[in-house]
Formats: sequence, structure tokens, C-alpha cells
Amino acid sequence: MSVAAVPAASIPSQASPRERSRQRAIRRFRWSILVPLILLLAFVLLPVLFLQLYFSFHQWTVYLGSWWDAEYVGLDLFRDVLTDPRFGWAVVRSLAFATGSTIGCFVIGFALAYLMRRPFHGQAFYYTIFILPMLTVPVVVAYTAEMLLYQSGPINDLISRISGIDFKPMWLTDPNIALPTVMLLEIWNWAPFSFIILLAGLAAIPREPIEAAEILGASRWRIFWEVELPLLRPVIFLALVLRFLEAMAEFPKTWALLQGGPGTATETLPVYIFLTTWQYFEISKGAVMSYLVMLLMIVIVLFAIRLLRREKQSLDAMYAGQKAAG
Amino acid sequence: MRKSQRRRMTAIVRYVLLTGWGVIAFFPIFWMISTSFKPDTQWFAWPPFYFPHPPTLSNYLNVWFGAEEYAATQYAISSQKPLISLLNSTIIAGTATLLSVLFGSVMAYGVSRYRILSETRMFQLLMLRMIPPIVIVAPLSLYYSTLGLLDSMTGLILIYFLTTLPYAVWMTKSFIDEVPREIEQAAEILGASRWRTIFEIVLPLIRSGLVATFLFILILTWSEYLLALIITKTQVTTLPIELSKYQGTTEGRVYGRQAALAVGITIPLMIVGLVIRKHLARGFSFGMVRR
Repeated sequence: MSVAAVPAASIPSQASPRERSRQRAIRRFRWSILVPLILLLAFVLLPVLFLQLYFSFHQWTVYLGSWWDAEYVGLDLFRDVLTDPRFGWAVVRSLAFATGSTIGCFVIGFALAYLMRRPFHGQAFYYTIFILPMLTVPVVVAYTAEMLLYQSGPINDLISRISGIDFKPMWLTDPNIALPTVMLLEIWNWAPFSFIILLAGLAAIPREPIEAAEILGASRWRIFWEVELPLLRPVIFLALVLRFLEAMAEFPKTWALLQGGPGTATETLPVYIFLTTWQYFEISKGAVMSYLVMLLMIVIVLFAIRLLRREKQSLDAMYAGQKAAG
Repeated sequence: MRKSQRRRMTAIVRYVLLTGWGVIAFFPIFWMISTSFKPDTQWFAWPPFYFPHPPTLSNYLNVWFGAEEYAATQYAISSQKPLISLLNSTIIAGTATLLSVLFGSVMAYGVSRYRILSETRMFQLLMLRMIPPIVIVAPLSLYYSTLGLLDSMTGLILIYFLTTLPYAVWMTKSFIDEVPREIEQAAEILGASRWRTIFEIVLPLIRSGLVATFLFILILTWSEYLLALIITKTQVTTLPIELSKYQGTTEGRVYGRQAALAVGITIPLMIVGLVIRKHLARGFSFGMVRR
């Protein structure tokens, strides 16, 4: 497949003039696409990263005159941030939030996808209903949640009526459950994402190995664990990794709903960086935190990309084999 | 007999479970729509009103058109701002998405046919999307302010274009990969230039894929919050930011008004999403899922 994607590149030496001009044309085409991209990255992203680096070593807030006159402070800011317990807690909260919501999305998404993997009456209807939460703007999710979750609001009312007990948790104002509440919102919002890619993955599983296992007399349970699940591994992987990364970056719901409160109960990394930069105006401290978070994320992303690539290659091999067999 | 009974049991269990989640998934959306039609006395009544009684359009008229006669004075946040924001949102999200799909599809063609980016580079491109925007937003706003791009449509369009490009390239590439190469080779033999081949043969062939990609990215740019919150201040506001202005105003909670605005922001997105529902998995999965 990759050979076919580079036509004629494999016969370099005794190329005819016609072939050579073709090669030149391809090279020109290649650069006419890449140059704008490189320019764009150089003019937008590079200065931003440079500024970030500058502020990490120079103490500056908006009150201190022009930013280019800021005082060089070496690694002081990094020491400040790394000894700041609030930053440490924000890291812990973000990781807990991302892990919890990733698992929640996966469990629900997988259960729904598994129940819907074969066509049945009403499938399209359920599919439509299930993807609606994903199509709701995150800020809207936050404000609707507020309408639903205040203490004498409809959710508590409904639960009380159905269960018969007086059920009145303070979803948004009790510091112990505020973060889990936001986590539930995240799961409500993004379980559809896990659902659609797992459903597509289940639909793409070839029938033959499953039928073969059935003929050999394997139980439903064993087929699930030993045939379907391994074939589904790349897609499961994708669902987990992408959801985790997105949850680490979640900002709109957490911010619009609670601004990190009550107290610091929902102060995740994005919220804490936002507060530091835009409410305390400690631009430099915010920059240092951003740098640390960026490094953390780059490590996670690189690791994730490595794993994703490996899974994609095994998937490509599987599809290639399927095509050859069919 | 036993087998058919068991099958019926599984079917019933399936419907019960699916309906259960369906209710959970739909209830908040129902509540938002219902609240948007409630008169102000029912916004947080106890016990809650599940259906507006009687339904009223005053929330919509007040929020979207600033209709004074409908504004129960204490809740009036008049002005026609939301309509301007709607226009801004449409222009910004529309332009950024169009640029992204246009540039992305040409790039995807290069990747698919001439491997102008190796697979490693393609995955590195994803980083543009996977690094949380919060880590660059402060220096970006400072950089923009020196360039005069702060609070302008151009600034927001530029950054949306960059952050959605990976999705555009990956998604259109998955469509281009499915186009048989023979057609282009025929065009090349007939002497068509590469650009003509792209714009007159390849892209028209994947028309429906381009529409799906466009709408998919529109969902992302339309609902973006953080960058819009920082980069736009007063001149240019997008709809999500307009909605957040209703929070924490001195008037107290104005649920009905918020809901009316929220419905207006969300419904277009839901329609778009339902139109391309078959392609959503492809857009999100970077070529890992095929159908």
C-alpha cells in the first residue's frame, strides 16, 4: 500500500527527461502545500511559544509596565510553582477527573455499543437520541446543569419521587461532591463519543472468526473475551486515549459552572491556570504552569501517539489481510 | 421454543437498558427546551414545573430581539447583542471551517498520493489539537494585542483554522484514500495540471465527504469557548460567550432567558450533527475506524 503511494519514486536512476520533470512537478507541488503551513506555524505558534518561555523566566504582571522591561528571575518562578500546594492539588484533581470520566465514558459507551451492535427495530432512533449530548455546546451543558441540579431542582425532585426517600444532595455547593458532579456532566456530554467509535469498531469486526469460534462450540462469553475483544483493541485504545486527553483539557463546563469553587473543590489545571493568569494577573506564574502542563501533556501525547500508531498498523494489517482474502 | 424465549428476554432487557440511558441522555435537553418556554414564575418553582404552563415566547422575544414589552423589567437584559453574536459566530466558524477544509483537503491529497507528510508527521500534526489550548492562550492574547488582532474576527479565525486543521487533513484523507487512482492518472495523461486534477476531479468526487468534514469541524468551531473568551472582548463576541454573560449578572438567575439563548445555540448544531451522523465516527477516529 505504501509502495503504491509513491508512484515512480522507486525507480530513480535511469529516469527519462519526462519522468524527471514529473518528479520536479511533484516536488514543487509538495512545497507549495508545505510552505504556507510552515509559515503559519512560524508566525503564529513560534512567537507564542517564545513569549511563553520569556515569561517563564521574567517576573511580570500587568501592573509592572511594559512586558519587555520585566525583570529576569531565573528559575525562581519554577520553584514557586513547584512548591505551590494548590498547583499540586490541581494536578491531582485533573488526573482524577480525567481518569474517572474516561472510565465512565468507556463503560457506558461500550455497554450501549455492545447492545446495539446488531441491527434491531428502532436502532436509528436510539442512535439519534444517544448522540444528542455530544452535540450540545459545552457552555450550554454547564448552564443547563445548573438549572437541573440546584438543591430543590428537578433532578432531586425526580429522584425523590421515584425512590420515595427525601433525596437532597447539594450537587454544586458541597465541596465533597462538586468535582464528581462535573465528572458526571463530562460523562453525560462525551459518552456518545466513546459510543460511536466503539459501535463503528464493533460493526467493522469481521464475521468469520466469530462464526468459526461458534462452530467450534465456544461459549458466548469466551467468544467475547477471546475473539471480539482482541479484535476491538485498537478502537478501545483510541476511545480511552482521546477521551483522557480531552478530559485533561476540559475547561468550559468546569469554569462556566463553578469557576473552581466551592472553595477550590473543582480547581483543575486549566481552571487554576486561568485564575492565576486572568484573575490574579500573575502572567509569569501562569506561563510557568502552562509550560509544565505542556511538557506533561507532550509526554502523555507522545506516548499515546506511539501506542496509537502501533495499533493502527496492526489494524491496517488486519484490513489488508481481509481485502486479500475477500 | 426455549431459544426463542431467551431471545425475546434479551430483546426486552436491551430495550429497557437502552431506553433507560435514552431518558438520561434526553432529559437535560428536554429541560432546557421546556424552561425556555416558561414564564418567569416557573423558572425555579417548588415543586418544579416539568412543562411550561402556559407556554410563552417571551424569553425568545426578549433575548433574541430585545423586545421591551415582553421584558418583565427586572429580568430585562435587552439590546440586540445575540443577533450580532449569531452573525459573528456564523462568520467566524464558517470562514475558519471553510479554510480548514480547503487547505486540509489539498494537503490530504498530497499526503494520500505523494506522501508529502510521513505517517510520523501526520501524527505529530495531531499535537496541534491534543495540547490543551489553555497553555497557549495567555501569550497568544499578548501576541495578538501587539499585532492588533485581539478582539478581531481575523485573530479568532486564524487560531481556529490552525487548531482544526489536523481534523480536516485526517478526515478528508480517509475519503481521498477511497478514490481509485486510475481516474487521476487518466486526467494526467490528458495533460491536466495537478491543481486542476485536484479541484476538478478529486474534490468533486468526495463532495459528500467534504460536506461531512465541513459540518464536523463546524461543530468544533461553533462551540469553542476558551479561546473566544480570551481573544474576543467587546467588539466581537461569539454565541457561547454571549450566553456566559447571562451568568452572575446582578439580576440573579434568569434561567428562562438563558434557556432561550441556549436552545438557539444548540439546535443548529444538533441538526448539523444529525445530518452527518454516519460520518461522526470517521471524523473522531483518525482513520482507525472504517465502515
